[in-house]
Amino acid sequence: MAKQLGMVVDAGLCIDCKGCMAACKVANEVPGDNWRNWIKSGDADWQAKKRGRMVFQPGNCMQCDKPSCVSACPTGATYKSKADGVVVIDRGLCIGCGQCIKACPYGARFRNEKLKVADKCDFCSSRRAVGLEPACVSTCPTKARAFGDLNDPASPAGKLMAQNKDKATQVVNAHSNTDPNIYYLGDAGLKSWPVKAQMPGAFEFWKNLADPAVKVVVGLTGLGVLAMLGKQLMLKNDAPPPEEHGEEGHHE
Amino acid sequence: MAQTSSRGISRRGFLKLAGAAGAAAAVGGGVTGPRPAQAAGGIKPGFTSKYSVCDMCFNKCSLIARVQDGVIQKLDPNPKFLKSRGMLCAKGNAGVEQVYGADRLKYPLLRVGERGEGKFKRISWDQALDLMAANFKKIGEQYTRCGFMFMAGSDMQSTFVHRFAEAYGSYNTLSHESMCLIAGTRAFLDTFGEVPIPDMLYTKYVVMAGANRFESLVTPDSMDLMTAMKNGAKLVVLDPRYTKTAAKADEWFAIKPRTDMAFMLAIAHVLITENLYDKKFVAAKTYGIEQLTKHVKPYTPQWAAEQCDIPAEEIQRIARELAAAAPAAMVYPGRRSSNYTDSTQIRRSYAIVNALLGNWDRPGGLTAARVVGLGGGIPFEAPFYEDNPEDRIDAGKATLMFPEEGSFKLARDAVLEGKPYPVKGFFLYHTNPMQTAANRSKTVAMLNSMEFVVTMDIHMSDTAYMADLVLPSQTYLERQDPCSAQQGSSACACVVMRDPVVAPLYESKPVFWVMQQVAGRLGMGEYFDFTIEQFRDKQLAGLTGGMDALKRDGVYYNPSKLYGVYEGKIYKTKSHKIELFNSRYAEMGLEPMPVYTPPKPGGFARMRMVVGRNAVITQSSSQNNALLAKFQPTNHLWIHPERAQELDIKDGDWVWVKSKAGKQRIKAKVTYETRPDTVYMATGFGVLSPGLANIYGKGACIAQVLTDEFDSITGNMAMHETWVRVGKEAA
Repeated sequence: MAKQLGMVVDAGLCIDCKGCMAACKVANEVPGDNWRNWIKSGDADWQAKKRGRMVFQPGNCMQCDKPSCVSACPTGATYKSKADGVVVIDRGLCIGCGQCIKACPYGARFRNEKLKVADKCDFCSSRRAVGLEPACVSTCPTKARAFGDLNDPASPAGKLMAQNKDKATQVVNAHSNTDPNIYYLGDAGLKSWPVKAQMPGAFEFWKNLADPAVKVVVGLTGLGVLAMLGKQLMLKNDAPPPEEHGEEGHHE
Repeated sequence: MAQTSSRGISRRGFLKLAGAAGAAAAVGGGVTGPRPAQAAGGIKPGFTSKYSVCDMCFNKCSLIARVQDGVIQKLDPNPKFLKSRGMLCAKGNAGVEQVYGADRLKYPLLRVGERGEGKFKRISWDQALDLMAANFKKIGEQYTRCGFMFMAGSDMQSTFVHRFAEAYGSYNTLSHESMCLIAGTRAFLDTFGEVPIPDMLYTKYVVMAGANRFESLVTPDSMDLMTAMKNGAKLVVLDPRYTKTAAKADEWFAIKPRTDMAFMLAIAHVLITENLYDKKFVAAKTYGIEQLTKHVKPYTPQWAAEQCDIPAEEIQRIARELAAAAPAAMVYPGRRSSNYTDSTQIRRSYAIVNALLGNWDRPGGLTAARVVGLGGGIPFEAPFYEDNPEDRIDAGKATLMFPEEGSFKLARDAVLEGKPYPVKGFFLYHTNPMQTAANRSKTVAMLNSMEFVVTMDIHMSDTAYMADLVLPSQTYLERQDPCSAQQGSSACACVVMRDPVVAPLYESKPVFWVMQQVAGRLGMGEYFDFTIEQFRDKQLAGLTGGMDALKRDGVYYNPSKLYGVYEGKIYKTKSHKIELFNSRYAEMGLEPMPVYTPPKPGGFARMRMVVGRNAVITQSSSQNNALLAKFQPTNHLWIHPERAQELDIKDGDWVWVKSKAGKQRIKAKVTYETRPDTVYMATGFGVLSPGLANIYGKGACIAQVLTDEFDSITGNMAMHETWVRVGKEAA
C-alpha cells in the first residue's frame, strides 16, 4: 500500500498541557497568534451526578485522503504528496487568496501573519528532512500522539492502526467527510466541532472535472490573478524565498 | 531599560534587538551576538545537537538543543532521559524565549531614583563588584556578618551562593522552599525518617489531595501516573478546584479546604476498625499502632463527612479500595504544602495512612531515595566569626525549622522588627519573593528597610525592580553548571549537568563568577579557588564512567537498588521504626499524632483564596515569557456561579478582591471549577516592573492579597489561610 503518514492519537492520555502547541510554534516559527495544532476540550457536565474522565483532544491538519483544501486551491499550491500522503503548501505558488482556509472543515489552515500565505501542519517537514520526529510527537509528556506511515505496521502509528483496525475513529463533519489521516483511539472526546467545508462557488464544478493542469490555468486567470496582485501588495519586502522542492515535486 | 518595540515569538524578533544591544554591549567586550536565523521554515541540515538541562521549573529535565549558526532553533526532549519519560513540556519548549526575549537584562544596573521608582543607570561589572565588596564589608562591620541575608532559588549554581554566605559568615540563607514544600518534607521525614519518592508507574490506586500532578508537572510522577492509569490504576482527587488532574481522575471530590486531615484520619479509622491495614508490616516496621488505634477512634467517616463535604460511604469505600490495592496503593505525598498553619500535621496524616497500607519500600508504593553516588564537590571549612550572633534571625520561632532553608515568613518579620538583630543587606539570586511570598506589602517594607539589596536574574523581576544593584545573569542555556543528582523511583536514580549550548549574550554572567569575584575582593578567594570543571570532577569522582555517560547520553544512571532498601535496616527516627506516633513530637510538646481542628467558618463575605499552578506557568519564574504568555496572557479570579450571582458579578466583570493583607483589581471568571467558598487566581501577574513588558499591566498580583500565616512546626508559609471579600468594581 502507498505510504500515508498519519497520526494515531490516544486522546485519553492528553492532559491539555500545551506542550505540543509550544513545540510546534517554535519548531515551525509559527508567528504571532497563529497555531498549527490544537487541543480541543468540551465543558464538564456540571449537572451530571457522576463525572467521567474528561477527554482532551489533540489535533492538527488531518492530511486527508479527500482534501477539500486541495480542491479549493485555485493555483495548485496545495496538493497531496504522492510520496507520503502529506498535504503540502507550495509557498511560492500560494497567492494568499484564503479559499483553502474556508474549505478546511477543521480550521487547520490559517494565513501566516508574517508570510501572508496559507499555512498549516505538514508533520514538521523540515524536521523530518533532518531525521527528527514531528515536534509535537517527541515533546508530548504522555506520548498521546503516535506518528508514522499508517500502512506500515512497523511504524508507531501503523502498529496502533493494525492493532485497532475497527476501533480507531476519525473526527469529521457528516457533510464534508474528507477521510482524515488522524485517527483516535478510544473516546476521542469532542466530536461536533468540524464544520461543513465552504468550497469556493466559482470553482466548485472544477473540483471533479478539471485535471491538475487545468487547475493551474484557472489559477492564473480571473480571480487568481487579482488575488496574486493582492498578495504582492501585501507582501512588500518580507516575502520569503520560494521553498525548495524535494523529489516529490508539486504537480500531481 | 529593555527595548519594548520588538515583542514576539521568534529569533528574528530578537535579532532586530541584538543589533542595538550589540552596539552597546561592545563597550563591555566579550559579547557574541548570534548570526541571523533563516528566513523561515524551521531547522535546516547542518545544525548541531547539544545536551543541556531545562530550568523552567525545578524538575531539571535533560534536553537537546538544536543549534544552527550559534542560535538555538529548538529545544527537544532527551529521549534517553527516563525521569521525564523523554518529554519536554510547554515551558521547556518556551525556554528559547528565556535566551532571546527582548526583556533580558544586559548589563549591571545601579538604582539612581527612589526604591520602586524604576530609575537605574548602567555601570560596569568592575564597578558593580567593587560596590558589592564595599557593602559586604560595611554591613558586616556595622551589623555583624549575619546582617547580610542571602536567598537563592532552585538553581544548579545556588550552591555557590550558599558557599559564599558560609565563607562570608552569615547564617541567614533563605530558599524558596519555605514558601513551598517544607511542611510535607518535615511530615514524611518525621514518619519514615526520609522523604519518599512515589513509585507511580506501578501503583494501582492513588488518592491525591493537595496536589495537581497533571498541571503542576513533576517528573516522573505526572507521566507515570498517566501510564499507571492506562494500565488500570484508579485516581481519586480531592481538590476544591476542578483542576485538570480532577478532570482526568476517576473520581473527583470538591473537598472543603483545610479538611484533608479529617479525610485521612477517617481513612485510618476505617483501615484500623475494619482490620484492613497491613498487620504484618505495621507490627514489624512501625511504632505506635496502639496509640493510633485509640487516637482515630472518634474520627469516623460520618464525622469526616461533615467536615469535608464528602459522603461517609464514599470515604469508607475509598479506604476499602485503598486497602484492597495495597501495597501498590498510596496517598500521594504531594509537594507544595505551604497551605495551612498545621500543614506538617496535615501531611503527617497522609504519611500515617501510607504506613498503614504497608506501601513503604515496595513496588507501586512509596520508595526510599536510591543511591546516586554524586559527591558534594569541593569541600571547604567555613571560618568562625566571633562577633556573630548565636543563631539565624528566624531561629526559635518555629519548632522544627530546617536551618538550611529557613523561613522566609519568619525571617521577613524579624528583619522588619530589627530583632533579635538588624539585617541590612540582602543578596538574591534567581528568586522573586515579591511575587511568590504572601503579603507583598511586607516584602516591599522589608526591602525598603535594607541598606543594600542586590538581585541577580535574567530579567527585571519585581524583586530586581526593588533592588539597589541589578546583575544580569546568564540563562541556563548559556551556562556551565555543576552536576545535579535526581531521584525518580523506578524511573531512575541519575545525574545531569549543564554545558553552554550557545555563547552568553550581552554582559550576562554566571553567579559562580560573581561570587568568585566578590570573594576575591574580600580576601576570601580561597573558597572559590577552582573551576566548574574541577568542581564537577570532584562530584563525579565516585562514579566510574560518569562523565562519559553525561557527554554521550546527557545523563548518567546508577542502577542502584530500588525496593527493599530498608530490609534489615533501622529507620532514621527516634524509635528506629516508622512512627505512627512520633515520640520526639511528644517530648517537644507537639501533638504526636495529628489532631484535627475544624476550619473557621467562611461565609458570604469570607471566601478562602487558594494557590495553584497550571502547565504553562511556574509561579513567577516563567513569567514574562512571550510564548507562554500566548497561553496565559493574564489571570482571572475564579469564582463559583452561586457566589457570583449573590454578588451580582458576571463572567468578565472587573472585581476587587481584598484580604487583610491587601487588595487587587481583577476580572472575574465565573466557573463551577471552584467551590462556592473558594476563590483562585494564578500567580505571577499584576507585576510592578515595566521591565516585564509581556505581562506588565496584565492581571492582578496574588502575593498582594495572600496573608502570611505560617505552619507552626516548620515556618512554612500558610497561604491558604487567606480569607477574602470580593465585590464588583463600580463601573
